[in-house]
Amino acid sequence: MSALQIRWDAARNAVHTLARQPLATLMTILALAIVLALPVGLFAALNNLQQLLGHWRDQAQISLFLHQNATEQDVQQLQKALQGGKGVVNVRYIGKAAALGEFEHNAGMTAAIRILGENPLPASFIVELNPLAQSSAALQTQVNAWAQRPGVASAQSDLHWVARLQAILALGERAVWILAVMLAIGAVLVMGNTIRLHIAQRRDEIDVASLVGATRSFIRRPFLYQGFFQGAVAGILAWIIIAITIALLQEPVDRLAVLYGTQFHLLGLSGLEGLILVGISALLGWLGSRLAVGQHLDHTFS
Amino acid sequence: MIEFINVTKHYPGRHHVLRELNLTLNKGQMALLTGSSGAGKSTLLKLLLRLEDVSHGTLMVNGVDVSTLKKRHIPAYRRRIGVVFQDHKLLMDRDVFSNVALTLQVGGITGRQIQSRVRAALEKVGLGNRIHNMPATLSGGEQQRVGIARAIVHTPEILLADEPTGNLDGSLSTEILDLFRDFHHHGTTVLVATHDQSQVERLGLPVFHLEQGGLQNPREKKS
Repeated sequence: MSALQIRWDAARNAVHTLARQPLATLMTILALAIVLALPVGLFAALNNLQQLLGHWRDQAQISLFLHQNATEQDVQQLQKALQGGKGVVNVRYIGKAAALGEFEHNAGMTAAIRILGENPLPASFIVELNPLAQSSAALQTQVNAWAQRPGVASAQSDLHWVARLQAILALGERAVWILAVMLAIGAVLVMGNTIRLHIAQRRDEIDVASLVGATRSFIRRPFLYQGFFQGAVAGILAWIIIAITIALLQEPVDRLAVLYGTQFHLLGLSGLEGLILVGISALLGWLGSRLAVGQHLDHTFS
Repeated sequence: MIEFINVTKHYPGRHHVLRELNLTLNKGQMALLTGSSGAGKSTLLKLLLRLEDVSHGTLMVNGVDVSTLKKRHIPAYRRRIGVVFQDHKLLMDRDVFSNVALTLQVGGITGRQIQSRVRAALEKVGLGNRIHNMPATLSGGEQQRVGIARAIVHTPEILLADEPTGNLDGSLSTEILDLFRDFHHHGTTVLVATHDQSQVERLGLPVFHLEQGGLQNPREKKS
């Protein structure tokens, strides 16, 4: 008998066993799906939060004021350097005249400026950055490097909020990871316990198979497939749960976004992320089964 | 060939179940294993199946030193043996065919071979017409025949039976033991544990009589 045939028979055996107890199988799969949907849903929420913060990237804005005697070459080289900077979304040059015009418009101090006789305002670059493109320390280093370039008089930035934002996101990410690990262990235990029940129901079969010369892998294989199949289906179900949750939340999010004069589309799992979820879920199911059946076989074959 | 050489079996905190047992059953031979309850018959069969480990001594089966057999080799060793139990050990949620087929599936056989060999085994034990019955619908004697079919379907080198007629009446016992004798005539080494003295006398086969962990008469005795 080919190895493929043996595996096919074991897989069929596993599916038949699950189909014989549809309610128990469904409950196990639902429990697993909910256990998986929680951390994955939190990851999706975190992803959406990052996306939302990306919308506010113009708030990470740095002003580089130029020396009065900065040359055209200094300005061009600086602009090139700024545009090539990491996380730079937009670079805007404000010449002396434009700065004066803006100042007059905003401050309404035209008369006072006229008394000075010449334009005292420096030319500047306004750099908009994605605050999440790099760490706040790296961002600060980059700003310091720009400030040291020829022609730059000073740099003005408020990166403290970026550091705080990144710290909050890192905390959230860590919390989600811890939760994910705990719930993954929970998923393994749920599957292990389910397989233990299946083993208890099929104890006679295992004992007889062992007496007539079944190997550990022969006995173990159908249980592993059961865990794998249930895990995979639970992963698909978790994916569906997250998709439904996001669809339900989109409407209130739309209403909220309108109040802020913006638009925001919630992100679910991409196809690849969904497949990874199903794969991990199947793996957890397999692992739970392996632990449970291994423990039993250690006893049977001891 | 089965050879017990100074085999001792004891359990921690208990007396010796087998004590320096020496016993030889030649290839193709059939013998009966008798003795009172607790004499060590079942333990001897368990040692042969490697369900228990030998405490001291050597147990050789067809050239294999069972006493030192590594765990990973036990399944392959067991596939060379057929075993029949007093309580049949049938899977009650599977039909007769599936019960017998299990032995072949475990041995890596599938498809048409299973079909033909299971049918042939069931024909041999007279249950060719009960192939799709569930065990619960069979009589005790028929259930035992299914157990025998499961034990011989892979044509084992050795056939062991632990009180196979213990739950059966006289005429059924005769039928079952005659089946074992048929297999023996086809070259299988057969060892049957029984306490049925009338059958022992009727069959006239070599007898190993165990008492208090040892052979009462170290030589094979004709009853």
